[in-house]
Amino acid sequence: MAEMIIKNGVVYDPKNGIDGEKNEICIKDGKIVENVGAGAKIVDAEGCVVMAGGVDGHTHCAGKINTGRVMSPHDMRYAPIPGLSGEEPRTKLLRPQVGYNTPNTYAIGYRYSKLGYTSIAEAAITPMMARHMHEEFEEIPILDKLGLVLMGSNWQVMQYIQDKDPEKLKAYMAWVLLAARGYGVKIVNPGGGSSWTWGKNVSGLDDKVVDFDVTPADILIGLAEANEALNLPHSIHVHCNNLGMPGNISTTLDTMKLLEKVKTKRDRQVMHVTHVQFNAYTGTSWMDFASGAPDVADYINKHDHLTFDMGQLIFGPAMTMTADGPTEYRNARMFDAKWSNYDQELEDAGGVVPLNYTSQHFAHATMWSIGLELALLVKDPWKVMFTTDNPNGGAFVNYPEGQALLMSDKKRQEVIAGFPDMTMDRISLPNIDRELGWGEIATMTRAMSAKMLGLDDKGHLGVGADADVAIYDIQPDKVDPSVEHEKVKKALSFAKYTIKGGEIVVRDGEITATPKGKVYWVNAYENGIVQAEKDRLMTDLEERFAKYYSIQLSNYMVEDAYLPRPVEIRPEVA
Amino acid sequence: MPVIKDVVCTLCGCLCDDLEVTVENNKITKVGKACKLGRAKTMGPFLHERIEKPMIRKNGELEECSYDEAITKAAEILVAAKRPMSYGWCSTSCEAIEKAVLLAEETGSLIDSTANVCHGPSALAAQEKGAPTCSLGTPKNYADLIIFWGCNPVHAHPRHQTRYSTMAKGAFTPNGKKDKKMVVVDPRNTDTAKKADLLLQLKPGTDYVLIEALRAIVNGHEDVLPDEIAGLPKAKVLEFAEMCKAAKFGVLYFGMGITQTRGRYKSGDNVSSLISDLNQITKFVMIGMRGHYNVTGFGQVAAWETGFPMAIDFSRGYPYYNPGETGTNDVLMRREVDAFITGAADPGAHFPQESIKHLFKIPAIQVDGYANPTTEFSDVVIPAAIAGVECDGTAYRMDCQPIRLKKLVETTFKSDEEILTEIIAKVRELKGAEGAKGGA
Amino acid sequence: MQTVTLTPKRSPTISIEAELITPDAFAGKSAAEIGAIGAWEGNEEITLADIFDVAVDGSGDAAETKIVIDGDVPRVKRIGEAMTAGEIVVKGNVDMRCGARMSGGSITVEGDADSWVGREMTGGEILVKGNAAYYAGGGYRGETCGMRGGKLTIEGDVLDFLGEHMCGGEIVVKGNARLLPGVLNWSGTIVIEGDTTLPGGEMKSGTIFVKGKVLEMLPSYKDEGTEEVDGVTYRKYIGDLSRNGEGVLYVSV
Repeated sequence: MAEMIIKNGVVYDPKNGIDGEKNEICIKDGKIVENVGAGAKIVDAEGCVVMAGGVDGHTHCAGKINTGRVMSPHDMRYAPIPGLSGEEPRTKLLRPQVGYNTPNTYAIGYRYSKLGYTSIAEAAITPMMARHMHEEFEEIPILDKLGLVLMGSNWQVMQYIQDKDPEKLKAYMAWVLLAARGYGVKIVNPGGGSSWTWGKNVSGLDDKVVDFDVTPADILIGLAEANEALNLPHSIHVHCNNLGMPGNISTTLDTMKLLEKVKTKRDRQVMHVTHVQFNAYTGTSWMDFASGAPDVADYINKHDHLTFDMGQLIFGPAMTMTADGPTEYRNARMFDAKWSNYDQELEDAGGVVPLNYTSQHFAHATMWSIGLELALLVKDPWKVMFTTDNPNGGAFVNYPEGQALLMSDKKRQEVIAGFPDMTMDRISLPNIDRELGWGEIATMTRAMSAKMLGLDDKGHLGVGADADVAIYDIQPDKVDPSVEHEKVKKALSFAKYTIKGGEIVVRDGEITATPKGKVYWVNAYENGIVQAEKDRLMTDLEERFAKYYSIQLSNYMVEDAYLPRPVEIRPEVA
Repeated sequence: MPVIKDVVCTLCGCLCDDLEVTVENNKITKVGKACKLGRAKTMGPFLHERIEKPMIRKNGELEECSYDEAITKAAEILVAAKRPMSYGWCSTSCEAIEKAVLLAEETGSLIDSTANVCHGPSALAAQEKGAPTCSLGTPKNYADLIIFWGCNPVHAHPRHQTRYSTMAKGAFTPNGKKDKKMVVVDPRNTDTAKKADLLLQLKPGTDYVLIEALRAIVNGHEDVLPDEIAGLPKAKVLEFAEMCKAAKFGVLYFGMGITQTRGRYKSGDNVSSLISDLNQITKFVMIGMRGHYNVTGFGQVAAWETGFPMAIDFSRGYPYYNPGETGTNDVLMRREVDAFITGAADPGAHFPQESIKHLFKIPAIQVDGYANPTTEFSDVVIPAAIAGVECDGTAYRMDCQPIRLKKLVETTFKSDEEILTEIIAKVRELKGAEGAKGGA
Repeated sequence: MQTVTLTPKRSPTISIEAELITPDAFAGKSAAEIGAIGAWEGNEEITLADIFDVAVDGSGDAAETKIVIDGDVPRVKRIGEAMTAGEIVVKGNVDMRCGARMSGGSITVEGDADSWVGREMTGGEILVKGNAAYYAGGGYRGETCGMRGGKLTIEGDVLDFLGEHMCGGEIVVKGNARLLPGVLNWSGTIVIEGDTTLPGGEMKSGTIFVKGKVLEMLPSYKDEGTEEVDGVTYRKYIGDLSRNGEGVLYVSV
């Protein structure tokens, strides 16, 4: 089948220890191989940066985003970044594209590809809504996808933890991933989503969930241990309690410390903590709130059991969408903003609220700084994933802006110079001059995200990896990212080449092909749970469905029809 | 006799998924657990006539033809049109809807759903204020105050109250009705209202006014309110407000009384704000009582494919949205539309006179299982399989819960999805274009 | 000075979208060039010459350009969209979205304007001598802010939702405003010289004057007694208290 060779590229492949070497990349039948024949198609990278295709390990791209779309007809025409936003008519090859924060599915696929990304992870879906996520996945062109399934405010999860029944919890976790055809375990404001059904919340790790005799700490440990007992490729993926509240740094650090005691057999973290920027605030109110990034970074530097992602703010309109229902209500009331809410019976909460971030507000300016501080103060890039918690911190088409900022102290100082005075006492960024290099950027945007998710064939260019490659129109020996922020941003926005499974899908920033991607999911149930435990679980579930759910158990399970190109991963059983 | 369990009903937005269907010799002979409407729908193909063959109108009369001829004629009509309109697609699967959207794109058409004459304003309300809502099973387990505003579930959603609301039993409502209060807001003393603990029989067209008063009370300004509000004594309005504040979990189900009375979507969006205000005091949510079983699905599919849930204009190559300008009846009543295709809906029965007059004048295509008033003005009629009975697919319940429809019997009729796929292929052939590969 | 006269050649039933009929797009161009400017008739691309006879007199920049549409154009939408300067006169009726996003210059419609005249305008002036349908001076779906500046005057009547989401500027309606004028307005001034129903629904702040009758008042406004403004006595109401609003509604006594 198709053979290709990429020549004259400057390769950054952190997993395989390659940091700016002039290597050739050989591709055959959609995989990276050792060699190809003389007839291979030649792709001349012309001295440009070559990396594996980007892996976005946390983005809101399928499911809740649809509520965001319906709320935002005005977003569809909004075009702050030409070529990556606003309305584009259909062409022979492409469906029409619209939007900025809540683009349509085709725009999502095309624009991520232009950015050189080839895999995305939907950050949060309830098991009951998973069918919807899969329907949207099918309409997102090109990219490979996976979904993280919400479990942190789930009645069954909390009941089995309360009952001190880890075997049942383990069986249930595996069953939920099967039911949802999901990939990993997502925990948002653990316990709070259930309390929110009464309009209440949890205040911290040790605050009991309404109607249950469990705390968020119990939920985190229970799910983490079940996750490791099942040997799942990804660790638990956690959005901490008290997001967005001044002083929440203590909850965040406590959450990180709590997981020190959980062990994993896999070569990866025990917990991935997401969009930490929103959870790294010191102070007691918005008046004295400040960046807690130095303390959080200090902890992460001293501990190896976690990874995290930034949740970088981008100035301008954003759309918040999260399972953290109570936070969204609070946001809506505070800013007199539109408010969508969704309580998913027995499973979790959710909210969607449009916000606008401005560099002229000291709070937003501080939040913007925190994201960058976290990435720059944590020494090991393998612990850091670049995200904006799309579109909560900002639309994903701004990733190049954020990544270019990490590479240029000069540009960061320019932005800071425009901040209101009230910001300056709250942030450390003015004194941080570290500038990331291409290798570190490659780590934070593909190598570590693939590893963190347990996707062995993604995020690197070693033999056997999927032939997902990004070539950016920038010659590292000629352009200094520290000085040429705009050039870096432009190069990362419109890839010279994006190659997906060995096929060129982007050329000079334009889509050239629209193959359909695969959906990864984890089946830890079939072989991973013994029959006796399956029977015990089903007896309980049958009763719960009959009593509490509004859907039949047999209609709950996502059917094969929704995954036309699945990649089913069965973890090795201990 | 084989009984198929957990069958999904394809009538109303309740999307009950516990039906038990008996199939004998490829015929449905019994439908268990469904309400009268659901049973009639499920057994429909076996109870009454249907459109048996494709037809084309010649000299004023519909004459039978082949599928190929009908598909070709339909494609020719759409390709020739400058302002074609695609309408309906609500009593069919999401998979068919995706094809309808693609067809609209490829022909530079407008496309809209039955929400244009129904819950369209609810989408507008979400655009103004958001949608503070929940899944149907949530109030089942939690709600102690059930409000039906401008809707009559006894008739329009017969199993709603037993499955999801007034009589449903759940975790915190183990005694069903005994654990709850039910309130109806309606100018009529409907069959639902007759069982209410409180009926607010407001003057027609004053829903917005009543919502304003309720918000004023919730926000601490009851003193400015007059003695009569929306045709009701102030004391009664205060009583209702107190019930809302005292509830542990309140749910407001709403229908045409909110979406189609004076002020239209302003009432709906004001309810969203009322719900938000009430959440300062206690837990409250709202749920739209969607009529057709998959009108919600249209909104979902259209939103992820085009960014907009309805009333989409593709004439410029990218979707443009502006109900009041791009809604089906907006353009029909201006007589702008020069070709019309409708499927899984019956505009002939539901549209205003002005629109119908115009529909008789322009070439119209109908895709449906059954003849109905729409057939009277159609020039091309293509018989379709009934989704959820003769073919499978996805539907979204009123609370946006997606459930998979089952295929219960074999059929020789093509599904809406297949028909639309063939029309698209013919359109491409006629236009000489390959069309978009992506997603098609 | 440049004057461009567009004389309608035909009366389409399908709306024409002609957002390039602006002084900005016409300035300094010849009749042939203007005739070649694109527009859309449904899903078909046309040129202005397909629907208008074009005559040009003189030349100039946008501020010096005057466009006269010499006839009825009830099916030509988006005339004057986003214009920054210059003048447009329509000697007849005009279709939807006339003057949308206008930031400067002036538009005069001698007949009626269809819905969304002056949508999201930020500056400039629009005068409609006839009636203007729905959403005059309104915003686009989903935006919390509609009209931000400029002045919109309608000598006839308007239908529902006048100035919805108004964030600035001034609207004067000499006739009646049917239902919910000034709904969800944040700022700006609306003057209705005729009658209206339920003015100022969910007003956050802003000012509405009703010189005729309020056929139905919202229940959530607080009566603050009478006040004289520019020699006219009004009853002054504060609201909309349904949302703790601090807008002012003046109703003539």
